[in-house]
Order: sequence, then structure tokens, then C-alpha cells
Amino acid sequence: MSTTRAAPTPPGHRPAPERGNTPADERRMTWRNRLYRFDMRYMPYLMIAPFFVLFFVFGLFPLLFNAVVSLRNYRLDDPTLPYWAGLDNFSRLVGDEDFWNALYNTFGIFLLSTVPQLLLALVVASLLNRKLRAQTWWRVGVLLPYITPIVASTMVFSVFFSREFGMANWALGLFGVGGPDDPIDWRADKLHSWIAIATMVNWKWIGYNALLYLAAMQSIPRDVYEAAAIDGAGQWKQLWRITVPMIQPVVLFTVILSTIGGLQLFTEPMLFDQNAQIATGGPNGEWQTIAQLIYKVGWKDLNLGYAAAMSWALFLIILVVAGINYVLTNRLSGGKR
Amino acid sequence: MSARRAGVVGRAPQDTPAGIWTYLFLALTMLFAAFPLYWMLVIATSNDEALAKLPPAVVPGDQFMTNVREVFSLQDVYFAASLVNSLIVSSVVTASVLFFCSLAGFAFAKLRFRGSNVLMLFVVLTLTVPNQLGIVALYIVMGKLGWNGTLLAVIAPGLVTAFGVFYMRQFIVNTVPDELVESARVDGATTMRVYASIVLPAIRPALAVLGLLTFVATWNEFQWPLITLSGTDFPTSMVAVSDLASGNYVIYRRVLAGAFIATVPLLVMLFIGGRQIVRGIMEGAVKS
Amino acid sequence: MRRSWTHWARAVAVGAVSLAMVAACSGRSTTGGSDAADGQVTLKINFWGDFGLQDLKTKYESANPNVKIQLNSGEYNAQHEDLQKKLIAGNGAPDIAAIDEGFMVQFRGQADKFVNLLDKGAASYESKYLPWKWKQSLSADGKTQIGLGTDVGGLAMCYRTDLFKAAGLPTARDQVSALWPTWDKFVEVGQQYTAKTNKKFVDAGTNLFNPILAQQQVGFYNEQDQLQLEPGPKVAFDYTVKAVQSGLSANLVSFQADWDKGFTSGAFAVLACPAWMLGHIKQTAPGTEGKWDIATVPGGGGNWGGSFLTVPKQGKNVDEAYKFVEWLVQPEQQIEIFKKVGNLPSQPALYSDPAIADFKNPFFNDAPVGQIFPKMAQGLTPQYFGKKHGPTRVAVENVIRRVENKTLKPDAAWGEVVKEAEKAARS
Repeated sequence: MSTTRAAPTPPGHRPAPERGNTPADERRMTWRNRLYRFDMRYMPYLMIAPFFVLFFVFGLFPLLFNAVVSLRNYRLDDPTLPYWAGLDNFSRLVGDEDFWNALYNTFGIFLLSTVPQLLLALVVASLLNRKLRAQTWWRVGVLLPYITPIVASTMVFSVFFSREFGMANWALGLFGVGGPDDPIDWRADKLHSWIAIATMVNWKWIGYNALLYLAAMQSIPRDVYEAAAIDGAGQWKQLWRITVPMIQPVVLFTVILSTIGGLQLFTEPMLFDQNAQIATGGPNGEWQTIAQLIYKVGWKDLNLGYAAAMSWALFLIILVVAGINYVLTNRLSGGKR
Repeated sequence: MSARRAGVVGRAPQDTPAGIWTYLFLALTMLFAAFPLYWMLVIATSNDEALAKLPPAVVPGDQFMTNVREVFSLQDVYFAASLVNSLIVSSVVTASVLFFCSLAGFAFAKLRFRGSNVLMLFVVLTLTVPNQLGIVALYIVMGKLGWNGTLLAVIAPGLVTAFGVFYMRQFIVNTVPDELVESARVDGATTMRVYASIVLPAIRPALAVLGLLTFVATWNEFQWPLITLSGTDFPTSMVAVSDLASGNYVIYRRVLAGAFIATVPLLVMLFIGGRQIVRGIMEGAVKS
Repeated sequence: MRRSWTHWARAVAVGAVSLAMVAACSGRSTTGGSDAADGQVTLKINFWGDFGLQDLKTKYESANPNVKIQLNSGEYNAQHEDLQKKLIAGNGAPDIAAIDEGFMVQFRGQADKFVNLLDKGAASYESKYLPWKWKQSLSADGKTQIGLGTDVGGLAMCYRTDLFKAAGLPTARDQVSALWPTWDKFVEVGQQYTAKTNKKFVDAGTNLFNPILAQQQVGFYNEQDQLQLEPGPKVAFDYTVKAVQSGLSANLVSFQADWDKGFTSGAFAVLACPAWMLGHIKQTAPGTEGKWDIATVPGGGGNWGGSFLTVPKQGKNVDEAYKFVEWLVQPEQQIEIFKKVGNLPSQPALYSDPAIADFKNPFFNDAPVGQIFPKMAQGLTPQYFGKKHGPTRVAVENVIRRVENKTLKPDAAWGEVVKEAEKAARS
């Protein structure tokens, strides 16, 4: 935080001219004075007001109002139900297989995507951190997936992981896995569908995270590495022993970011379905995530009250998981220092 | 231990010239990153058979215009309109984010007012609140306003971002000297005048970065536009692409031609502003 | 400093202009398609798949220059869900909405949200329609008719003559029909085919389940709208599982890309064909022309699918909308649709019209489709479809797919059907 702030003497307080003041001059003076006072005292609030007003109306208020909706019977197709539902939506949630299944899927995909994603990002970052020719070109290149719409890339991956004509099965077939007679059905069971979706997530975010790591790596003072030369640490060891602990805050930041993002996964599982319109995430909800289930309950089953309750549950889960991740990552990457 | 080896390990990575393996691995990474986009282009330019071909087709075909024409002529997808809609939404949101967030960022960075610290802390805290969680209530609110199914429903929630305020504040703290603000004040400049004549010119690079990031993110948004705009005549391009892939005839060369067209504006932005985007992401990382 | 001000002013101007554009656009959406000033009317019609309307639209537009027709084809489930949402919201529904018989009970229960076509003079059509078709879209009190029927599905089997020949099976349609008087026999033929060629016989388990279910007295729901899984769905399900266990199914998801490709690649040799399926095959696999033929369905007749055109009340041009619907159900248009995409009209008088009775479909080896399908449609007692028929069907189809994917053991499958169907009934 910067502590120096501009606080100049107001122009109106400049020594008044010695010549006799006419009433008109005085009036102008007080008007300017008032304007000045207003500018100093209230202008800052006016400047931040648009942000806070808009954020409150479209960001915070819905979040809070969600709590009210979750306590109501809010069925679009049945307005005759009693207004308040009490905790019905939440008690239904506890016994709802679909919810727990979606939670399980969300975590499965989350693990399969976050861990490889951050590890590979570290490796890519450490390579980008070398003295490279055409440095900018490489950095921009790894951002290709970041700017590609998830909708567009998921369409490609959806074809890529097709059972009959997919390139994934063809490529695996070259290595003797699956093959044309016994192709892998990427949409038939949990593990395969999770891998397919995690691949999409990894593809999207590795480059972005690598740049975050790279930025942190470049701010590590050079003498740290010089000192480490005495140990005779190789490049790999250098990465794990020196670099990673030094960029620990950014690692924490990315872990939290991907937790928040990963637990809200929607587009990939949604469009991976052969018939995206039914939003079930596979015949038995093999890869239905919570965000997708909320969509289905809210806008397919038209039960907004229950969907709101699920949103709250997801919110709490994200808080808890982000907290746990924070502590864990802190221990892991800091412990070696 | 040879002197050569000691020399290598003693150097910071930034000073170690990349070896052949580094280049090789990076090239593989690039291939991985570019492949889906490339294959999108291959299918988008081919006829129906290319998709089912094994080993896969790897060379773009000559059917691009045919496919594109088909995509644009599908009445129920509103593809052309969707591109305009996305352009409107992304532009308005970007302009608004740049204006309001730089304004608030300036106030937090350089002006003294009661409660500024607490309010800034609030902004930082809300950085991490996933607004997707309020989506059910947002839908109800938009319904009460009568905005569901219109572009307003998609624009309004994006008009300001906590990240924008945070980013702008950091940048202004670091790049606009207090003395400059002070001397302008002494000359009798009002706060808005200072904002317009000193702050805005100084933060142009940051505006470029925030603008690019905001535009890309808004263009790519899917869940909320899907909820509020699907089934209307006003889809965004992402909703339109997903519409191409639903229905009783899913023709992937069309789907991917549509997906490709909807990606092109962003590819152009990356091509022109790639350096800025990279810098924006990296600066964001160090400062946060 | 002046320069900055102009910059700043320009930014504001751009912002204002964009906002104005947005306002203009969203404004346009609320006025719907109508523009009273020059009498131009745009009619939006929502349906799924191919209703054979492309050419008719042009024809109608040139005959009625003040009307523009906007065809809006979507996914089957999505179109119905979307309509439901729009009816609740009170705006946004199309001027004309197609509704499948499977969703009809749900919508005729909200008859007040649709224009009563009897008020528009539709009563004169009652005598022209198959009686059961007319009743399907009639409200419970019989006072409101919410839709006019377009097609009925009927039921037959489409098979690939070239693949049958290669497997040493007969190829003539009478002989093929004689192969499978019952579903038991059908499964046996499939086993022969699979043993001989090592290829799959049918496209998907779900596409066995649906037609067999359609042949049962009671579907998922009885007339009291209670879920009734036995005997109807159970019978259909058991045959399906038997076929899947015998390795007959190519396990494709219908109306998805792999399924579409299967028509061309010969991934399966036979599939259940309601009349509306003919158009889909022709469009997805144009290269297979002449390789298909049509035989009767095992287990006697039956009907699978068939739609109605309705006019939601919230539309701004309900009179124009009804005029178009009325025009579409006239014999001339119905016959044209039949020839174009195969959809069988639901007005029996047309069945004896030579244009239909003598029509042979060249794509299907000149099969006399004008004879095959009407026979079934006429003698039919239709099933009752409950309000939750749509979601229940999706749920049970999902269980079948799990059996096909081998992620669910066949002997545990029925339990899952019961569980999932009950869940869907409650949803």
C-alpha cells in the first residue's frame, strides 16, 4: 500500500488579493470553495460508487438472495406450493444420490486435472525461464489454449474422444491399447470420462499457470542460485530445492485459483455429452459435475429452490477445500526450505 | 567435478542458454497447445468423410466456404447475429470495466477518504468469490427486471470486476507519481481532471492488458449466457456454437467451422496483443 | 491536456453508443417479430429433426407476401423443455410450437396457455383425423383443442439388403417380414446374423426398447398418471437386455454423430423405423440409396412418435399462426411432406389417395411405404403418456445404455430401471 497521498493546499486558500472584494467575487469564491470541498470529500466516493453499486446489485445481492431462495419452494412449473420450504431443500440434498455422485465426480476430475496441470506448468515455466531464442514467441504460444473458447475446444475434444472414430483411440491403438476391435468407450465409465475431461482442463490451463510461475521465477534473485552452486545441485534439483520454495506464494495462488475453477467445472462436462441437452453427464451421471447438476435441477427440472440449496452447498465446499489446499500446499512447498 | 558443470549449475536459470532438450520439450508443448485448434481447422475445411477417416486427416481441405455458408444459413442458430451480439456484449463490458475500474482504482491508489482501507479490503476479499454460485438468484433477479433473454442480462453482471479494481489500483500506485498528482492539484485541477489528464495517459498499458483479458473472458463465457439466452433469437456466439452441436443432425464440420469462426477474433487479439496479454498475466502474478 | 480530454470524450461516446445499441437490440426482442406498420408478420415455428417444411415455407411466403416463416429446429427434449419454460415465463414462446405425443399430456394439462383451435374453426377437422390422434391433444374436459396433428409414426423395420445378403439371409421384404413374427424370433435372426458376420445387428438397445414399449397396452404411466412399470416397460426391457446380451447391439446413441455414421459404415443391419425415420436415413446416409428396404415390425403393429402443431396464446399473431397451421394440415401439403421426408399424415382419407397409396420410396428399394405405414396407424389403440413420460423415457434409456456399456450387470438392471424411473416421476 502506498502511504503518500496527494493533499495539496486548496486553491481557494491562496492569499486573497488585497484589492477590495466585490460581492460577486466573494460569491464566486465560496462557490469554488464548495466545489473544492465537494471534490475532496465526496468525489472519491463517487468514483468508487459505480463499482460498489454494480457489484452489489449483480454480484453480492444474488449471492445473498440465493440463501433466501434455497429456503423456499421455488418451482417454476408449480407456483402453488407453499412459499417457505424451511430446510426441506437441504434435507433432500443430504439424501440425494445425484448430489453425492456429482460431488464425487467433481473431486475426481478436479484431482486428475489440478495435480498434473500445476506440475506440468512448473516444468514448462522452468523451461521458459531459460535463456531462449524468440522468447516472446514461446510465451505467447503457450497462451493459445488460454484464449481459445472452452466451448470451441471442447467440441474438438468431444470428437477426439469419440469411441468409433476418435483420434484418441486411434493413437492408443498404435501402442496396442484398445484398437479397432475393442475401442475404449470414453463416455461409458467414470475413469475414462474423467480422464477425457481432465485432459481438456489441463490443456486449457497449463500455459496460463506456467506464465504465472515464470513471472515469480524471474523475480528470484540470481545470487540464490549462485549460492546453491556449492551444493552442486543439478537443474532438476535446482527446480525443486530452490525455485519451487522461492515461488511458494504464487503456487498457493494457483492452487486456490484452480480449486475455485475446478470445483465449478461446467462447460467441459456439459458439452462432452453426446446429447448435451439432457445435461445428465453420461447415462449414469458418470461425469456429471455439481455445476452441471445445478443447471439440470434449476433449468431442466425447473426447481430453482433446490438448485439454490445446491449452490450454497457448493460454496461451503469450495471454502473448505480452498482452506485445506492452502494449508497443505503451504506445508508441502514450504517445508523444504 | 568438471569446471563446465560447476559453471552451469552456478548460474541462474535465466542465464543458462536453453539446450536442445529444452527446445524439443517446448516444441512438444506448443504442438499440444496448437493441435486442437489446428484440427478444428482441418475438420472445418473438410467434408463429412474427413471426420471418420483413420488415420486421421491432417491437411485442411477446401470445403471451408461451403461449411461456413451452411453455418450462416442455418436460420435457427442465428450465427451471424450471435457474432454481433458477442461483439456488443464484449465491447460494452470491456469499456465499462476499463472506465469504472480505473476510476475506482485511482481513488483507492491516490485519494484520501475515510474507509478506503476497509473498502479496499472488501474488494480484495471479493476477488475470490465465485459469482457462479449466485446464478440461480441472478436468474430470478433478471426475471424480475424483465431482462432474461436479452443482452442486458449478459452485460449487466460483467460491468465491473473486483480484479479490475485491484489490478488498476496496483498499477496506478506503482506508475503514477504522487508529485505529479500533487502539482496538478496545486494548479487547481479537479479530481476528474487529474484522472483524465494524468492518470489515464499513464495507465494506458494497463488499460490495454485489462481490456484484452476482459474481452477474451467475456467473449468466452458460456454458462450464464446459456441459461439466460438459450432458445431466444439473441444468442452469444458461444451459445450459438453449442446450438450447432445440438439437434437431430449434428454435423461436426459445421460445428467446428462455427467454433473456428468464433475463435478467430480471439486469435487475432492474441496475434496483435499477445505481448500485452503475457505481460498482464505475469504482472498480475507478481503483484498479487 | 486537451488531447486527453478528447480521448476521454471519445471513450464516453463509444460507451454510450454501444449502450444505445444494446438497448435497441433488447428493445427489438420484446416487440417480437411483428411490425404493425407495414403489416409484415414473422411467424416463428419451433420443432425438432426434419418436418419437411423447407420448401413449404417458400411456397407459403410467396403466396402470402406479408408473412415470413422462421423455421427453428432444435433437439427433441430441449424444444419441449424450452416451450415449458417460456409458457411459465409468459413470454418468448414461438408463434407455433410442435409438440410430440410423448409430451402432449403435459401440455394439454396447461390448455389455458394455448389458443383453443376450436375457437378458430378447427372443429371441422375432427372428422378428418384418426380419432385417437384428435383426442391426444384435446384437453381433459374436451373443450379445448390445443393442436392439430401432423404425422403419426407407425412402425416398421428398415434393413440393409446388401448386409442381409452377405449374411445369407433373405432380402425380399415379405420373406424378411416372415423371419420375425415375434421379438423372440427377431433376436434369433440377430444371433444368426452376428454369428455369421461377426457384426452388430441393431443400432442401439434404446431403439429396440422404444418400439417394443410402444406396442404394449400400457406405457410408463397408466391413465391415472401413476408409474406402472409392469408389465409394459418390463416386457420391452427384457427383450432389450436379451438382445444386448446376445451381442446384437452396436451400442450407438441415436441421433448422435457415431450413430449417423453407422448408417453409412454398415455398423448395423436393421433398425426400427417409424415413418419419420425414413427422412433421417435418407438425409444422413445419401450414399446408401437402394440398399435399404422395409419389412414389418415383429409383434404386430404399433406406433412410435407423431406430432402436433400448437399455437401458444402469448404469440402476437395467433390468427396468422393458425392460418399457417391450417394450411399445413391440408391434404396437398401433408402429401408433399410425406413424399419429401416420409412423415405419414394422420388423416386417414389421405391413405387412399393415390399419391400416398401408390407411393413407392426409391431410396428404400421402392418399398410401398404408402401401404406399409397406414395399415398400422388405422387399427391402433394408442397408449396413454403420463405427464412425466419424457423424463422417464430419458432415465430408462440411460439405464439401457449402461447395460450396453457393460457398466451395469443385466440382472441388476431392472432394479435400476425402477429406481431411476421413480426418480424421474418425482423430479
